[in-house]
Formats: sequence, C-alpha cells, structure tokens
Amino acid sequence: MISGQYLARRLCYCALSFLVCVTLTFFLLHLMPGDYITNYLLWLANKVPKEAVEQFYLEFGLNLPLHEQYILYIINILHGHWGYSYAYGQPVFSMIMDKLGWSLVLLVPATILGILLGTVIGAWSGWRSGGKKDLAIFNIMIIIRAIPEFWWAIMAVMIFAFYLQWFPLGGYASISVLSTGISFMDVLHHAILPIALMTFFIATGNYYVMRNSMITVIGEDYITTARAKGLDERGILWRHALKNALLPMVTITTFECAAIITGNVFVETIFSWPGIGYMTTEALRMRDLPLLEGIFLLDSLFTIGAMLLADILSSMIDPRIRMGRDE
Amino acid sequence: MSRKILLWGSIVVLCIYIGIACAAPLIAPMGPDAITGRPLQSPDPVHLFGTNNVGQDIFSQLIWGARITLLFGFFSAGLSVLISTMFGIILGYYGGIVDEIASRIIDVVIPLPTFVLLIVLTTFFSPGILTVSILMGVLSSIFGIRIIRSQVLSIARMEYVEGAKAIGASDFHIMYRHILPNVMPLVMVRFVSSSQHLLVMGVGLSFLGMWDTSTVDWGTMIQNAYSEGGVALGLWWWILPPGIAVIGISLALAMIGYSFEEKFNPRVGVNRI
Repeated sequence: MISGQYLARRLCYCALSFLVCVTLTFFLLHLMPGDYITNYLLWLANKVPKEAVEQFYLEFGLNLPLHEQYILYIINILHGHWGYSYAYGQPVFSMIMDKLGWSLVLLVPATILGILLGTVIGAWSGWRSGGKKDLAIFNIMIIIRAIPEFWWAIMAVMIFAFYLQWFPLGGYASISVLSTGISFMDVLHHAILPIALMTFFIATGNYYVMRNSMITVIGEDYITTARAKGLDERGILWRHALKNALLPMVTITTFECAAIITGNVFVETIFSWPGIGYMTTEALRMRDLPLLEGIFLLDSLFTIGAMLLADILSSMIDPRIRMGRDE
Repeated sequence: MSRKILLWGSIVVLCIYIGIACAAPLIAPMGPDAITGRPLQSPDPVHLFGTNNVGQDIFSQLIWGARITLLFGFFSAGLSVLISTMFGIILGYYGGIVDEIASRIIDVVIPLPTFVLLIVLTTFFSPGILTVSILMGVLSSIFGIRIIRSQVLSIARMEYVEGAKAIGASDFHIMYRHILPNVMPLVMVRFVSSSQHLLVMGVGLSFLGMWDTSTVDWGTMIQNAYSEGGVALGLWWWILPPGIAVIGISLALAMIGYSFEEKFNPRVGVNRI
C-alpha cells in the first residue's frame, strides 16, 4: 500500500521535475541569439513594422523584468500557451495535439502487441533458461537489439515496400483519398509495416526484462517449496512463477506508453508518418527551437506522469511494497 | 567455450575498426569530400563501392567516416563514464549532506526524457560533432552516477578502507587506491555498453540530420543514400556499406559488453550467452 505522506512527497518531486523542464526551456529561449519575437516575425515576413514588434513585446510581456517574465511563462505553459513555431508560424500546443493522434494510431497497437509478445517469449525463455532453445533466442535478441532501429526500418521499406511492393513506401494514405475520402482500410494498409516494426522493437525490449524477472523468481524459495510439495511444473509456472515475474512489467509498460516520441522518431521519419516523431525530425532539420521545446515539454510530462503511475500501480498490485514506511 | 571465441572475435573486429579509423589516410584512395567520378557510378576497380549522387567515392567516405563515428562513440562514452565514476565515488565516499542533496537532484532530473532534451540542446548550441558528443556524455552520465554511487557506498564501509583511514591515508589516496580499483570492473562494463549505446544513438542523430552533410560519418552517409534515392533506384552498394559498418561495430561492442558483464558480475551467471 501507499502512504499519503509518500504520495505527497512523490507529487512534489514530479512538480519539481517539470519545473526544471520549464525553467530549462525558458532560459534556452531567452539565451538564444536574437530574441524570440524578432526571430518569429522575421520568419513570417521579411520586413516587420515597428508597431507590430512593439505590440508583440507588450503582449508577450518581454518588457517586464526577467523574474516576472518567468512567472508569466510558467502560467502560460500551464494554460497551454506554448509559444509559436518558427517554421510554421502556428501555436506549438495545437500543432502537437494535431500530431499526437496520428502517433497514437501506431503506438497503441504496437505497444499492446509488443508487450504481449515480449512477455510470452521472455517468460518461456526464462522458465527454460540455460536450455539450448533459450540460448538461441537470447542470442538472436542480442543481435536484433544491436542493430539500430532506423536500419531495420530502412531494410523493411527496401524489402517489403520497394522490392516486394506489398506495402506503400510511406505516408498515411494513398493519393486517391483526395477523391474518395479517407478510409480505414487504406490507413491500415499504410500502418501495418510501421506497426509491425515497432511491435518488434518493443517486444525485444520487454523480452529482456521478462526473462531476467523470470530467472530471479525461479531462484526464490517458494518455487523450491512448490516443487517440494510435488506440484506439477505447469501449475508452478502459472500459479507461482508467472504472477510474481509479471510485476516489473507494470513499470516497463507504463514507461513504454510514455515513450511516445523516442519510441517512434525513426520509424515515423522513415515511413513519413505524420506523427510527433516525424515532426521532431522536421523541427530538428529546420532548427525550430520553440517547437522542439514544446515536444520536449510534452514528452517530459508523459514520462514524469508515467513514473508516478508506475510507482503507485506496483505498490497497489504488490502488497510487499510498502512505500514510505521503511524510508 | 563458444563464448570465448565470440569475445575474442569481437575484440579483433573492434581492433580492426580502430585500426582502419587510425590509418584512414593510408587506406582511403581519395579524400572524403573529393569529387572523383561521375555521379551514381556502379562499383568498379577504381571506385570499390561506386560513387554517390555528387560523384564522391563511397569506399573512401566509408573509411574516413569510421574516424568520426568511432570518435563520437568512444569520446562521449569516455566522458560519461569519467563523470559518473568521479561523482559516484565522491558522493558515495563522503556521504552526508552533499550526497543527500545530490541524490535528490538526481531524483528530480532522472525522469527527463534524455533523447528529446539532447535534440533541444543541440539545436540550441551549434550542432557540431564535439558539442553533440559532450552533451551525450553528460546526459547519459546521470544514471551512471547512481549505479556507481551505490556500489561505492558498500565498499566505503569495508574494513580495509577503515584500516587505510586509521593509518592516516588521505581521502584522495583512499578513493584512488582503494575504492577506484574495486569499482573498475563496473566502470569497464559501463564504458563498453555505453559506447555501443551512444555510438548507435549518434549515428541515429546524424541520420535524422543533426549536423550538415559536409561532415562525413556513417549516419550522414545512410541519410544521404536514403533521401537521395539510393533505395528507390535500387543502388544497394550505396546504402548497404555504411549500414553494415554500423551493425558490425555495434554487434562487436554488444558482445564484448555482455561477456564483460558476465565475467565481472556473478549475478548474471545464470543467463549466460
């Protein structure tokens, strides 16, 4: 169980972490060569009238002292005013929210499938650890992990989309949607390859955790006890080993749900999928600092939230974890 | 038995890579930027892997690219390990209020998404190879500080440390002569695994377009081949060599990392390769 005091302290840490992020983005924006408004307006038009600049200064509070600007910035962030992108001239927050949906189209199925696959293979491999089949799987997983993600994605495009032509080369819909409208089957056809790849990555990551967890659990005394009692192996696996070995997966799962950007920046870029990962690459190429900072803020919010959630969930599931008592 | 062969094989591969990187001017027939042929030439005896879209020799680029790719991989990993070892030992040895404050700071900083933070910071600073390596090193050291600190905590309570204190050894002497050798295996494992990790990450970042294409490393070569039609035209000799080069070094480092971990950490003995 989780104690109220511990929860309060944890929440304080989360708030502090986010404050660090916000402070960082604030100072980066301020230390940038040239100021934000001039840069922003120059992106929009070559010649900017003086009145417009002054108007913007007043509106953004750039004439205030630095500490007041800082407080204003935090208030703005909390209200969803995350500044304007240099390259697109649009509010960062709404741009990110537009792309978030498309990222989730890939991420939700890939995470679910990847976790299931990784857990099942990992559990089996850990249960049979030391055997020939386990070692074979383990070595294959090491090799898969050592090859960079973008290389797998390029190879997949090259083989399945270019040579075999089973799937389109990229994008999220065919050109025919202009006349027929967007259809589920069409998007699915475009999404299968990236989803399969991401499932593959997530599964290999989960495999290690699950296998290690399983090996640790098998070494515990209660497994020996269960064997001594004469329970059959299948019963031990399902009733005793698996339940306990699944615990670390809660943490991993929440983390994977949070990794909306790092999880798929390469896959989205290579498949030109219009999600947050692709937007990150585009913003990086155009050196669009405000947009990147917005993406950073969103990602840190997700990660911080996921860490908190993982702590609370695992303490609820496992009665042995009594957070805040023995600290 | 086969593990030993794998380990030594990986070490040999690693040495070959380092040798190629060091001897790049002797091996590469042409400069990395020199335009030496027609664009998109197929492989022939002069251009072993053909030429790219502006007529630069791909084989020479591959050899010169090894320098930059290995440099940022090992440099950032070295920096990361140096920082985490130094702070880990100091925090773990002295303990007390400084350790408490530092641990709380690490608690606050750990949830920040490193990869995006890295992209934001490199966009802010000029995105040169050196800047990116330093940033990668610093950002990835935070987690290492924690690991090494916890190891040092138990070592600092050992009797031989107390004995050294009793005979009047200075703090620096104890940290350098008694604690450092005991965390060295852990440091080695961290170095190998983070050099693999950071090298792949750096190649990935340069693939995304972190620095301009005039800097020739394997990431920019793959990016160039991919975006300029190496895939669409079916020119496999353009895109495959840098990719296979990355995979080779990454696999070798991963294998060495696993073998080291197994050697130095008795707890992973069960899941041996």
